[in-house]
Amino acid sequence: MPESTKIHDSKITVDKGDITQYQVQAFVFYAQHDLQLGTGFGTAVSQRGGPKIQEELDPLAPVETTAVVISGAGALHADHILHAVGPRFQEEDMAGKLRATVLNCLREADALGVTSLALPAMGAGFYGVPLPMCATVTLTAVRDYLCQQTGLESVVLCVLDSREYEVFAKQLTSLADAKATA
Amino acid sequence: MSKDRQRSHKAQMVIERMGKKLNRQIVGSLAGCVHCGMCTDSCHYVLANPDDPTYAPAYKADQIRKLFKRHYDWTGRVLPGWVNARSVYTDDDLENLKDTVFGKCTNCRRCTLNCPMGVDYATFNRMARGLLVSVGVMPEGVAVVSKDQWEIGNQMGVLKEDYLDTLDWMSEELQDELDDPAAVIPIDLEDADVVYSINPREAKYDPRTISDAAKIFHVAGEKWTMPSDGWDMTNFGLFSGDDDLGGAVARKLFEKVGELRGKKLVISECGHGYRSTRCEGQNWAQMDVDFTMESSVNTMLRYIKEGRIKVDKSRNSDPVTFHDSCNNARSCGLTEEPRELLRLVCEDFREMYPNRAENYCCTGGGGAMSMSEYTPRRLKSGSVKAEQLKSTGADVVVTSCHNCVDGLQDVIRHYELDMQVTQLVNLVANALVIEKPTPAEQVATITDEVAAAPTPVEAGSLAGYTILVTDDEPDFVTFASAILEDNGARVLQAFSGEEAVALARREKPDLLTLDLGMPGTSGSDVFEKLRTDPELRDLPVFIITGQPELRRLIYQGEQRSPEGYLDKPITEESLLMNVRKVLSVPH
Repeated sequence: MPESTKIHDSKITVDKGDITQYQVQAFVFYAQHDLQLGTGFGTAVSQRGGPKIQEELDPLAPVETTAVVISGAGALHADHILHAVGPRFQEEDMAGKLRATVLNCLREADALGVTSLALPAMGAGFYGVPLPMCATVTLTAVRDYLCQQTGLESVVLCVLDSREYEVFAKQLTSLADAKATA
Repeated sequence: MSKDRQRSHKAQMVIERMGKKLNRQIVGSLAGCVHCGMCTDSCHYVLANPDDPTYAPAYKADQIRKLFKRHYDWTGRVLPGWVNARSVYTDDDLENLKDTVFGKCTNCRRCTLNCPMGVDYATFNRMARGLLVSVGVMPEGVAVVSKDQWEIGNQMGVLKEDYLDTLDWMSEELQDELDDPAAVIPIDLEDADVVYSINPREAKYDPRTISDAAKIFHVAGEKWTMPSDGWDMTNFGLFSGDDDLGGAVARKLFEKVGELRGKKLVISECGHGYRSTRCEGQNWAQMDVDFTMESSVNTMLRYIKEGRIKVDKSRNSDPVTFHDSCNNARSCGLTEEPRELLRLVCEDFREMYPNRAENYCCTGGGGAMSMSEYTPRRLKSGSVKAEQLKSTGADVVVTSCHNCVDGLQDVIRHYELDMQVTQLVNLVANALVIEKPTPAEQVATITDEVAAAPTPVEAGSLAGYTILVTDDEPDFVTFASAILEDNGARVLQAFSGEEAVALARREKPDLLTLDLGMPGTSGSDVFEKLRTDPELRDLPVFIITGQPELRRLIYQGEQRSPEGYLDKPITEESLLMNVRKVLSVPH
C-alpha cells in the first residue's frame, strides 16, 4: 500500500515499483558522470526506451556531482528522464550533495512544467548511500521544496523493495507527524 | 613518520569501515596466522605460479592483516615493525589491494581447509573486497553485475518481460516434447509444494536447464511453481563482499516464497547460489523463514528414491566425472548426494582426484568470470584443473554449479581438452523414462512408408544452413547456438577472431555472426580480413556487439557494410528475425 502525505497542494507518495515503467511525466535516473546509461536501471532505460536516449545524452557529458540533465524517455511511458549525478561510494559530504541533487531535480522538473515526478531511493544500493540517510535527506528536501511555489502536484518516491519501502514509509510518517504538530 | 602522511579520503574510509566489519571469526583469522606455509600448496594459483610468492595465501592475507595490525591490534600500535603493521594512504594503495583480493584469489577456501590454525582467509578476503567496493574500488565487471542485481533484481540484468517470455518459450517446448498441454511452467502458483528458483544465466543463456527441470517436476507430478519476480537465487554479495546486497537479494527471494506460501524453496544447481541462499541468506537478510530449502540435486535424488520418476542410466553411457563446486562442497558439505544421483543416471562414473572438499576450484569462483582483466591469470591457474580433468579419462565433466560450467568450459578450451561440460539436471532429464509415449516414440510406431517420407521444411526453418557464431563470451555462444540449432541450423563456434577466420576459410559457412569487442584479433579486424579475402568476401556477416561505440569501425571503413547488425543483449526473436532476413528465409 503506497503511503502518502500532502504538502500544501502537492502530494508526496512512497510506493514500490519499477521506476522506468511508473505512470509519471518524468522520473529521475541516478546517472554516472559520463552519462552512460550502463547497467541496472540503465539496462531497463536503454532496452525499453530505445537507443535515442543515450544518443541525446552523449553530447551533454561529462557532468559534475549534483548536476541534472534532461533527455526524452524514448518508448517509455514518461515524457522526460532527469539524469541526476548524485554522491556515491562514501564520498565527502554525501548528505549535503544528495540534498543539492534532489533539489536540482525538483527545480528542473518544475522548469519543464512537469506535474508528476518519480524519484528512486537516490544513491542507495549500489552507490552505497546509507538507506536511512537517503530517506531522511530526500524526503526532507522534497518537503522543503514543495513548501514553496511549485507546479509539481505529485512527487513519488518509487522504491525497489520492501527493505527500502519500510525505511522511506517510516520517514514519510514522521514528516507527516511533524507537520501535524507544527 | 608514516603517521604524519596525508591519507586519501577513500583510504581513510576503508580503515574506518574495517572496524565495523571485525567479528570474532575475522579477528581470530587475522591474528591466528603463524606463517607455517601449510596453505601454500593448497592454492591453485600457487601451484600454477610456483616462482611467484605473491600468490601464497599467507602473503595475500598479510596485505589485509597489516591494516588490522596497524589500526585495530595493540601489537601493531606498540611494535608496528615487529608485527609488520602498515597502513594504506593513497588510492594507488587501494588499487594494489584490489589486485590482490579480486585478482589473485577466488575465495575457494581450499587454504582454509588446510590451515592448522583455522585461519579462514576467504572470509576476510571477502571483507576486504566489501571495504573496497564501498569506496568504489572494484573491477568493472563487479560493478556491472552488482548494479544489475541491486536495481534489476538479478545479476544479469534480465528484464521481467524477457524472463517471462523465456518461461513461456520453455513451456511451449515442453508441451511439444511431451505432447501434453498440461506440461507448463506454472508461474506464481500459490500454496505450491516447491518454489523453484534459478540462476539468471539459465534465463539468459542456457534455458534448456529450465526446461529440463520443468520436465522432471512435471513427470514427478510435483505441485510446483516459478516466481514472476524475486526468482534469482544467486547473490553477488557473496563475491563482492557487500553484505547489504547479500541481504537485499536474499530478502527479495524469501519474501516472494512467503507471499506465495510455498512450502519448500528448491535452488537450481549453482554453488554460490546454494551457499548464499541456504547457508548465508538468513543472516544477511536478518529474517527467519517458515519454509525449507534444498538443492535441486536433493530434489531429483528424492524423486528417484520415492519412485516418482524412473530413469534409465543406459541413456547416459559416456564416461563422466564430477567436479565439486567449492561453495557446495567446502562451504556447505553437499558432496555425497550428487554422486549418488550420478550413479543412478550414468553408466560410467569416474572420480576426479582430489575430490569433495579437497577439490580444486574451476578457476571461475568468487566472481572471477566477471573480471575479464584477470582472465590470463585465471587461465594460467587452470593448469591444475586441466590436469585433474585429463587424468580422469572422462568425456564429460558434470558439475552442480553454473559458474563452474563457465569456468570449466574456459579451462577445457584453453588447454584443448576433448571434454563436454554438463549438469545433473541435463543428465537426469535425458535419463528420464516417460510412461506416456512421447511424440518421437509415436513416430517410431507409424508405418515405414510414412516414416520414410521426407519431412517438409517448416516455414522459417534454418535447416540446410551453416552458421558460424563468433564471440569470446562462452555464454553468448551457447545461447545463440542453442537458438539457431533449435531452428535447424548447423552451428559452428569460434571464440576468437583467429579461430573465426580459420573456420570460415575451412567450412565456408552461409553466415558468420561476429562480436566486435574480442581480445586479440578484434571483430573489426576480422571483418576487414573477411571483406578483403577473395575467398571470403561474399560471406554474409552479422555483427552482434555489446560495444555499440565500435560500430563506426565497421561502418566508416571502405568495405561493404555488414549484412546484419544487432546490439546486445539480444533476444531469441531478434536473432531469428535478423538471421532469416540475412539468409532470405521466408517466415
